[in-house]
Amino acid sequence: MTTGPLIVQSDKTLLLEVDHSDATACRMAIAPFAELERSPEHIHTYRLTPLGLWNARAAGHDAEQVIDALLKFSRYPVPHALLVDVAETMDRYGRLQLVSDPAHGLVLKGLDRAVLTEVAKSKKLAGMLGAKLDDDTIAVHPSERGRLKQALLKLGWPAEDLAGYVDGEAHEISLREDGWRLRSYQQQAVEHFWAGGSGVVVLPCGAGKTLVGAAAMDLAKTTTLILVTNTVAGRQWKRELLARTTLTEEEIGEYSGERKEIRPVTIATYQVLTTKRGGVFPHLAVFDARDWGLIIYDEVHLLPAPIFRFTADLQARRRLGLTATLIREDGKEGDVFSLIGPKRFDAPWRDIEAQGWIAPADCTEVRVTLTDEERMRYAVAEAEERYRVASTARSKLPVVEAIVARHAGDQVLVIGAYLDQLHELGEHLGVPVIHGATTNKERERLFDAFRAGEVSTLVLSKVGNFSIDLPEATVAIQVSGTFGSRQEEAQRLGRVLRPKSDGRQAHFYTVVARDTIDTEYAAHRQRFLAEQGYAYTIIDAADLVK
Amino acid sequence: MTYDFAEALRALPDDALGALLRLRPDLLVPVPSDTSALAGRAQSRVSVARALDGLDQFTLEILDGLRLLSAPTMSALLALTDNHEGVRGAADRLRARFLILGDEDELYLVPAIEEVCSPFIAGLGRPAADLGADIADLMGDAAKMRRTLLSASPQARAMLDRLAQGPPIGTTSAGSDAVEWLIEHNLLAEVSDGVVELPRELGLLLRRETGPLGHLHPAPPEAAGSPKDMSLVDKAGAGQTMSAVRHTEELLEAIAADPIPVLRGGGFGVLPLRRLAKATGLSEQDTAVFIETAYAAGLLGELDTATDTFFTPTTSYDLWRGAPLAQRWARLAWAWLAMTRQPFLAGSRDEKDRPMTVLSPQLERAGAPDIRFTVLEALDTPGFAPTADELIAILRWHAPRRMRNREGAHRSALREAGLMGLTGHGALTGYATALLRSSPDDDPLGVRDASPTAAERLDKLLPPPVDHLLVQADLSVVVPGPAEPGLASELDVIAEHESGGGASVYRVTPASIRRALDSGYSAHDLHSLFKRRSRTAVPQALTYMIDDIARTHGGLRTGASGAYLRSEDEALIATVLADRSLGDLNLRRLAPTVLITPFPGPRLLQALREAGYTPVPEDASGATVLSKPKVKRASGRSGKQPVFGSLSDATVNGIVEDIRRGDARLRAALRAPAEVRAAAGHPMSSLTAVQAHSQALSVLQQAVREKARVWVGYVDAHGSQASRLVRPVSIGAGYLRAEDERTQMLHTFALHRITAAAPATE
Repeated sequence: MTTGPLIVQSDKTLLLEVDHSDATACRMAIAPFAELERSPEHIHTYRLTPLGLWNARAAGHDAEQVIDALLKFSRYPVPHALLVDVAETMDRYGRLQLVSDPAHGLVLKGLDRAVLTEVAKSKKLAGMLGAKLDDDTIAVHPSERGRLKQALLKLGWPAEDLAGYVDGEAHEISLREDGWRLRSYQQQAVEHFWAGGSGVVVLPCGAGKTLVGAAAMDLAKTTTLILVTNTVAGRQWKRELLARTTLTEEEIGEYSGERKEIRPVTIATYQVLTTKRGGVFPHLAVFDARDWGLIIYDEVHLLPAPIFRFTADLQARRRLGLTATLIREDGKEGDVFSLIGPKRFDAPWRDIEAQGWIAPADCTEVRVTLTDEERMRYAVAEAEERYRVASTARSKLPVVEAIVARHAGDQVLVIGAYLDQLHELGEHLGVPVIHGATTNKERERLFDAFRAGEVSTLVLSKVGNFSIDLPEATVAIQVSGTFGSRQEEAQRLGRVLRPKSDGRQAHFYTVVARDTIDTEYAAHRQRFLAEQGYAYTIIDAADLVK
Repeated sequence: MTYDFAEALRALPDDALGALLRLRPDLLVPVPSDTSALAGRAQSRVSVARALDGLDQFTLEILDGLRLLSAPTMSALLALTDNHEGVRGAADRLRARFLILGDEDELYLVPAIEEVCSPFIAGLGRPAADLGADIADLMGDAAKMRRTLLSASPQARAMLDRLAQGPPIGTTSAGSDAVEWLIEHNLLAEVSDGVVELPRELGLLLRRETGPLGHLHPAPPEAAGSPKDMSLVDKAGAGQTMSAVRHTEELLEAIAADPIPVLRGGGFGVLPLRRLAKATGLSEQDTAVFIETAYAAGLLGELDTATDTFFTPTTSYDLWRGAPLAQRWARLAWAWLAMTRQPFLAGSRDEKDRPMTVLSPQLERAGAPDIRFTVLEALDTPGFAPTADELIAILRWHAPRRMRNREGAHRSALREAGLMGLTGHGALTGYATALLRSSPDDDPLGVRDASPTAAERLDKLLPPPVDHLLVQADLSVVVPGPAEPGLASELDVIAEHESGGGASVYRVTPASIRRALDSGYSAHDLHSLFKRRSRTAVPQALTYMIDDIARTHGGLRTGASGAYLRSEDEALIATVLADRSLGDLNLRRLAPTVLITPFPGPRLLQALREAGYTPVPEDASGATVLSKPKVKRASGRSGKQPVFGSLSDATVNGIVEDIRRGDARLRAALRAPAEVRAAAGHPMSSLTAVQAHSQALSVLQQAVREKARVWVGYVDAHGSQASRLVRPVSIGAGYLRAEDERTQMLHTFALHRITAAAPATE
C-alpha cells in the first residue's frame, strides 16, 4: 500500500492532505485537470469534472497522464471504474473541431463521423449550423461560435476551437519592469491564460490581478477594452497601467457616466454599458467602437446579464476574466466559464499568503449580546426585517468603538450595508462616511486622505466592497452585509490583504448579534473563507468592551 | 443397427458409471430407479442435447465427422484428419459421455444426436440423393461433375467455395446469373424459393484442401495482450470493491430516506431508478446491478404498510453496515454470483413489449449463476485479461451450443464482474479466485484449516480502518481512510455525510448537531467526542456552534396532558399543589400559575370540588363553560309491539311442516337400510366394493328416472362414513346431484365416494 497524499473519492472528488511531504508535487500534478473546490487548513478538496478534464485535454494533457497522476499519488486503490470514466470522458474531447476554412469561413469538422451526425441532428443546435459542406464538415454561422461551443459542451461533445482569434488593431503595450517584477504566480496565470486563448484567472484580493491584466496586454500588444465595476475602480486601473506599462495618459480612455472616451485602451464600467434607454442598450456600441484584440472583465463574478449576452458574440476576440471569488449567488458560474472561458488559473489564498504576497489576516467574529429591548424588537419583527433589525442593533456601536480603540494608530475601515447604521457609526466615531450618493470627487478626496494617513478611519457602504485600492488599511470591521453573501465577505477581507510595507498582520472583524439570524448569515458568509483556510476566532463582545 | 444401451450401462464398473453421472448430472434429476430407466433417460433428446451443450467446438467437429461416416469406425474417423491424437481425445470424451458406444471397428452413435444436431453435418449439404434425381446423377458421375465445375464462371466458383465452407445454404437475390447457371447445371439445388443448397458430394470435392470436415479448431482461440501484473490487478479490483460497497450503501441509504413503492407487477419503476442513479451519480445500468445484488444479499426487502408495500433496507442491512469492508464485499459478491437474475435486462422490453423493471420477476433467469461462473472460470488464469470479444470467442469455442443467443448475458456478466470488483484491469483478482474456490456452506464449522478466504485476502489489500478524524474550520470533518464502524455510526448521527470512497467527508451543520442532541448526546459528549477523535485542534467555530445549539436546545418543550389548572393567584395554585387529598391527580407545576394533570378535565373538576375548591371549566378559547348539575338517566329500551289475535294459517302450516320434518329426521336416522349401513363400513355386506358401487349406480339412475327417494351411503370429505336420504336430481360428470328432503337443499356427491344406495321404502 502506498502512502500518498491523495485520496480518491467515489464521487470524483480528490482529497489532498496538505501536510503530507508529497503534497506540493501532487498539487502540481493534479492542478491541470482537477478543480480546486475548497482549501481549508488540513485537507484540500479537488473535483474531477468533465469540463476540467476537457480543459486539460485542450491544454495538451492526455488521459494517460491524468491516470498516472492519480495512481501515483493515491493513498488507496483507485476504483477501476473511475479510471475508465476519466479515459472515456477525455476521449470525447476533440472529436469535433471548430476550424477556419479558407473557402467557407468558420466550419465544424468531425474527426468522428458518427459524432458529427449525432450532434447535427440535435435540436439544441438548431439555427447554429449552416449547410453541410461534405460528410465531415458543416458550416457554422460565425455569430454562433460562442453559443455553439456552449451547446456542444452541454451535449457532451466539446469542440476543440482551432479557429483562432482576431488579432485586433495592433498597439504597442509593454510592461515596464523597473524596480519590480511580475510574481511567479502572476507569470503562471498569464501563461496559462495565453496558452488557452481565453479564460478566467482567479486570484485572491490584493494579489495583483491588475498586473495579470497588464501582462496579458503586454503579450497581446493590441487595442484593449477593460470592463470594471465602477468609476473609482476604473481610475485605479488607469493609475496602475500608467505606472506599470509603457502606456501614456493619452492612450487610455475612460468610458463612464462622466466621460465617454474611446482610446486604444478603453476602461468602461458595467454600469454605463448596461444603462438602458428606450429598451436598448445605447452604450453596448463601445464593443464595436474599435477592433479590440483583447477584452478584460474585472470582477467577473459580478458580470451583469446583458454583458453575458453580448459576450457570446465576441468569441473571436481574446477574453480575460479576473476575479477573487468565482462564486455567484445566482449560480451562473457555468455561463462565465463557457462564455468568457474556462478557469485558467487558481491559487489557494493561503499559498499566496505563505509566499508573502498578501498580508496574513486574522479573522475574528465578535458576538454581541443584544439588550432585552433589542431582543424584543427582533422577536416581533417581520421575517424580512429580521436581518436588518439584528444586524443594525445599536449594541454594536460600543463594540465597534472598542475595536477601533484597540487598533489606534492603524488604518481602519468600517464596512456596513445599512445607511442609517453607517451614519450613526460615523457620528459615534466622528469619522467620514462614504456611500453610494457620495460624489466621485469626494470619494477620491477621502481615499487619498486615507492613503496619506490624514484620515485613519473610514465608514464605507457597499461601495467599499470592490476594487478600492487602500494598501495601508490593516483593519476592517464589518457590521452588516448583504445577507449571507460569501463573495462579499471575501471581497471585504480583500480590502485589508494588500501586503503591508512593514509586514504587519491584517485584522478582519465581523460584529454579529448573538442568537439571531445575523449569526446564521455570518456562518454562511464565512464559509468561502473558511474553505480557503481562514479560521475565524470567536470572541465575546463583553471581553472587548470592558 | 441397434445397440443394447441398458446392457452396456449395466456392464459398466461402478466408478465408470459414477464418472458418467458426474459428466451428465442431469441424468440424476430425479434419481432413476434402475439401469433401464437410466438408459432411457440417457438416450432421450433432452439429455443428449444437454450433454452436447457441454462439449467444445473440436469435439463437436469430430462428432460431425462420425455422423458423416456411413459406417463409423475409428480407423475411418482417423482417416478424416491428420490430428490423430486430438481425434482420439475427442472420441474418448464422446465415449465417456455415452454419446458413442461400441468397439473401435464398429462405433455406434446414440440416435438422438441426429435429432438434436444440425442436418448440415460439418457444414455440408445433404447428399445429392436427397436433393433430386438430376443432381444425384451428376454427382454420381465424378468426371462429369469435375468438368461441369471447371466450366463454371469465376463468380459462380467463388459462390460454390463460399457454400463449401459452410453453411451449405444460401439465399439468392433474384436474377443472379451465376446462381441461375449453377442451378441449371445441377451444381446447386434450389430447395425452396430463393434458397439454394450445395450437395454434400460437391462440398466434399471442394474441400479437398482442408479435408472433408473443413477447417478444424483443435484449440481455443488465443487472446492477444500480455498477462497483467497481479499486484496491479488486485489493487485495481480492491479499489473497485470499495466503491461497490460504497455505492450499495449509498443506494440503500437513499432508499431508506425515501422508500420506493413496489409496483403491482413487482419491482420498482423507471422513475425511482432514474432518481437513484442521479442521486448517486451512477449509470442506470449500474444502479440496477447494485440494487439487484443488494436485494439478493438480503439487504433490501419489502415492507408492508397498511396502505402500500415499499422497498426498504432490511434489518440485516444494519448488521452488514457494521461489518468490516471485506466481509461486506464478500457478501455482495456471493449474492451477485448466486443470484438467478439478470440485471442488465432492466430497462429493455420483454417479448410482450412490457418494460422490464428492476427487482421485477421478469428479470429472473435460472441460468444466470452458471453464466457468471463460466465467465469467471474462463478468466481463472493469473493475469489473464482478454477483451470482451476475445473472451466471448474463447467461451464460444468451449461450448458453442451453449453460447448460442447468450453472448449478451456473458458480456454483461463480465462487465458486472468488473463493476463488483471481482476483476481488476480485466483480469480475475486473487481474492475473487478464492471466492470461486469456496462456497459459503463449504465448511460451516470452520474445522478445515482452509487457505485464506476471499474476504481475508481482500482485507489485506484494503486500507486499514481509521479511528480518527480531521476537523476543519469550514466545519468539514474528514476521516482519512475507511472509517472504523464505531466511528462511522457516531458520525452518521452528528454530521451530514458529504462524500465517500477512500475516505469519508462529513459536514457538521446546526441540523446535525440538533439531531445529535435529540438522540441523547450532550454538548459535553460532543466536545469530548471531537476532542478524542480529532487529530487536529478542534476549530473554535465548531465549539461555539455546539454550545450555541445546546443552549437553545430544548428551549421549547412539548408534551401531552389531560387537563390544566390555572389561576392568577399563585398562592392558590401552591395550595392546590400541596393538597394531599389531590395527590391522585399527579399534578405538576409548569409555571407559578399553571398546573397540569394527565387525567381528563371532568375528573380534575370533580376531584377539586370534592376537596372543597370552586373551579370553573374553560373551553379551548379560554371562555368559561357553565354547567348545570345533571341528573343521571339510563338510556331506555324501545319495547316490542305486542301481537294480539290468532296466528295466520301460513305461519301455522310452516311450523307444522318444520315439526314433521324434524320427526322424519329422527326416524330416518334410525331407518337407513342395513345394506347402506353395511356398505358404509360394516362387514355384513355380501357384495364386494366394486359390485356394491355398480349396484348403487344403477339404483341411483333408476331413482333419477322415477324421482324416487333413495338412501345413499358415502364417505365424506373427512373419510368418515355417512348415509343420507335424498331425492336424486341428476347424475353426470362424476357427480350425483340430489335434494335432501330434510334441509331442502341441493347436494352434490362425488360418485366415487358413494359406497351404496338403496331405494327408500315408504
